[in-house]
Amino acid sequence: MSEFLLLTDSADSALDDAVARLEGWSLERVAAAQLANAVASRADVRAVVVSSNDPGVLRAVVERAHGCGVPVVVACADDTARRRALELKAEEWYRCPADADEIAQRVRSAVMRVVPHAQASAEHVEKVEYEQMLHDSLTGLPTLPVMIERSRALFKERGELVVLYLNFVRYSKIEEIYGWEILDAVLETTAAAVREFLDDTALSTSRLMVSFTNDDDFIFFHVPAAGVAPASENDITDMVSRLQRHVGGRIEAQHGEDIAALFDIYVGRSHVYYNPKIRLERLIYRGIREAANASRSIEERERGRRVADLRSSLRDRGVYVDYHPIVVTETKEIFGYEALARGVLRSLRSPEVMFDVAAEADLIWELSRLCRSRAIEGIETRLRPNELLFLNVDPHDFSDPAFDENEVVHPERVVIEITERTAIKDYPKFRERLKIFRDRGFRFAVDDAGSGYAGLGSIANLEPDFIKLDISLINGIETNFIKQNLVETMVKFCNDHGAKVIAEGVERAEEFEMVKSLGVHLVQGFFLHRPSQMTLTPRKEESAV
Amino acid sequence: MDKARAPLPPIMVVDDNHDNAEIIRQYLEIRGYPITVAHDGDEALALFETVRPALVLLDVMMPGRDGWEVCRIMKQHATLGKSVRVIMVTALDEWQDKREALQIGADDYVEKPFDLPTLAATVERNLAMQRAMAS
Repeated sequence: MSEFLLLTDSADSALDDAVARLEGWSLERVAAAQLANAVASRADVRAVVVSSNDPGVLRAVVERAHGCGVPVVVACADDTARRRALELKAEEWYRCPADADEIAQRVRSAVMRVVPHAQASAEHVEKVEYEQMLHDSLTGLPTLPVMIERSRALFKERGELVVLYLNFVRYSKIEEIYGWEILDAVLETTAAAVREFLDDTALSTSRLMVSFTNDDDFIFFHVPAAGVAPASENDITDMVSRLQRHVGGRIEAQHGEDIAALFDIYVGRSHVYYNPKIRLERLIYRGIREAANASRSIEERERGRRVADLRSSLRDRGVYVDYHPIVVTETKEIFGYEALARGVLRSLRSPEVMFDVAAEADLIWELSRLCRSRAIEGIETRLRPNELLFLNVDPHDFSDPAFDENEVVHPERVVIEITERTAIKDYPKFRERLKIFRDRGFRFAVDDAGSGYAGLGSIANLEPDFIKLDISLINGIETNFIKQNLVETMVKFCNDHGAKVIAEGVERAEEFEMVKSLGVHLVQGFFLHRPSQMTLTPRKEESAV
Repeated sequence: MDKARAPLPPIMVVDDNHDNAEIIRQYLEIRGYPITVAHDGDEALALFETVRPALVLLDVMMPGRDGWEVCRIMKQHATLGKSVRVIMVTALDEWQDKREALQIGADDYVEKPFDLPTLAATVERNLAMQRAMAS
């Protein structure tokens, strides 16, 4: 019993064998001149094999076949025939003579490849694209228009809707510091945590829906179920705080304390009541805006509190330093330490958060001075004589009149880390300043190298002694060949310029082995060491001053 | 597919230059890979769900939807995006292009002009990585 018909003008007996290999197919032979018509007139034709050497016949067959969605395989006697087949966009071709296996494979692949022509194919692609727009690919959550459509009927019926706006605040530089992959991963975790929470929340008797705004905020709609009283203000407050705890806990469990510290969630809410005189979408959008504004004002208040915390920390010198070891890749011996300043107050524990708050309150120089002096104290009290101190310095700090090259007693033991990201406005002047420090014996490292599109030219300009690779190049490097290639390029560049490469953020054995095999000189990361205060005796605020 | 060999994973070759595409197809088919050729981005995307390729060799410079965009859309595909390996085929060898390739989720790249053994080696190492990641 055969469902599929293969038409051909070829007398080649290999075709019979080929059809025998295809399940459910039969073969019918037609004269070359009749082939085009036969293709169009027979409904059960699934493919055509053309062997005619006449270009006119070939063209007619291909055009007719494509007109009715039938794939064409061209049996080519020579190269000219092959080129003709390609020009006409035949789905497949083979060189005569071919064995039955090959012909069968060509027919199979031609059938697989037959594309509903131009128009239909464009429509299909468009459909795929639109479908992607309806759900966020990262979080799997529906986008806002979808959610509004879904809640429309329910909202009308119940007459009210509570909008919760989850303002997911990240301290500015997470993408720059840890790479967008980490941010994606955190958002994925968050969405999963949100879904988990919804599955077992007490309010699930009513309808709760969640959507993702494509930036990083989440929106909840809560529509009270029929016959159930809408959630009270207290219920909602309670739910919100449980949600915050749940999401925060998940992020910390999966991505660690350092990353969790970079996120805050502020929830704003609003009530929307159905009003037949106003278009429903408009009501909902208005409610969303109101909830978003409410969440922003909570955020503002929280930021204000942190600025106050920072001011008091500056007054009390409330900053301590964690030292994160940098080791020699080959021997795993400690080469030096990067100083990471942290706030004594819990709200300012993360250095990124602390500097972010300082930038907002115009206290950068003051905070930098404190962090610097705290870190430099460690040269005497924490480090062994042959170990170097890597000190983060913002290029803007070089304009601080209080920052000068004589601040440090042992400049030869200090490596100043400058991030590639901060835009350096006056290059010649900046290099002049660097030279003064260099002449005193300081060394330089370019931090986050390769994070931008700038490439190696701008790095070479700073003539660094060390290059610290951007963390996004290290994260998962063992499975991505492009990352491996970029790191290799960087190592070669450093070897040519007498600099050393440091891989930061090495968290797993696979990453360590990979950077080692690529010739990276130095390594820093949780796989080998975590940052620590390295105190021998309990730290006292005053004793170090 | 072929009873003599264990079935190899399907590969999609996307190149607007028909001759290039054919050369790659022949070379890889001899090695036993089932090959599907698409000549532009739209065609590649239209075939993507039917063919379900394990690996896509994607030319960057194509008229219309370029390779970057095709890669991005494929990598975002709800079910196939996570597992498909995408190799960008590009004449550009700047730092910037490789960053771009990373950003849109590409796994590897082959520099144009390439020789076929290099191409095959690149394909093989990506399929090996895919197997390693799956297990």
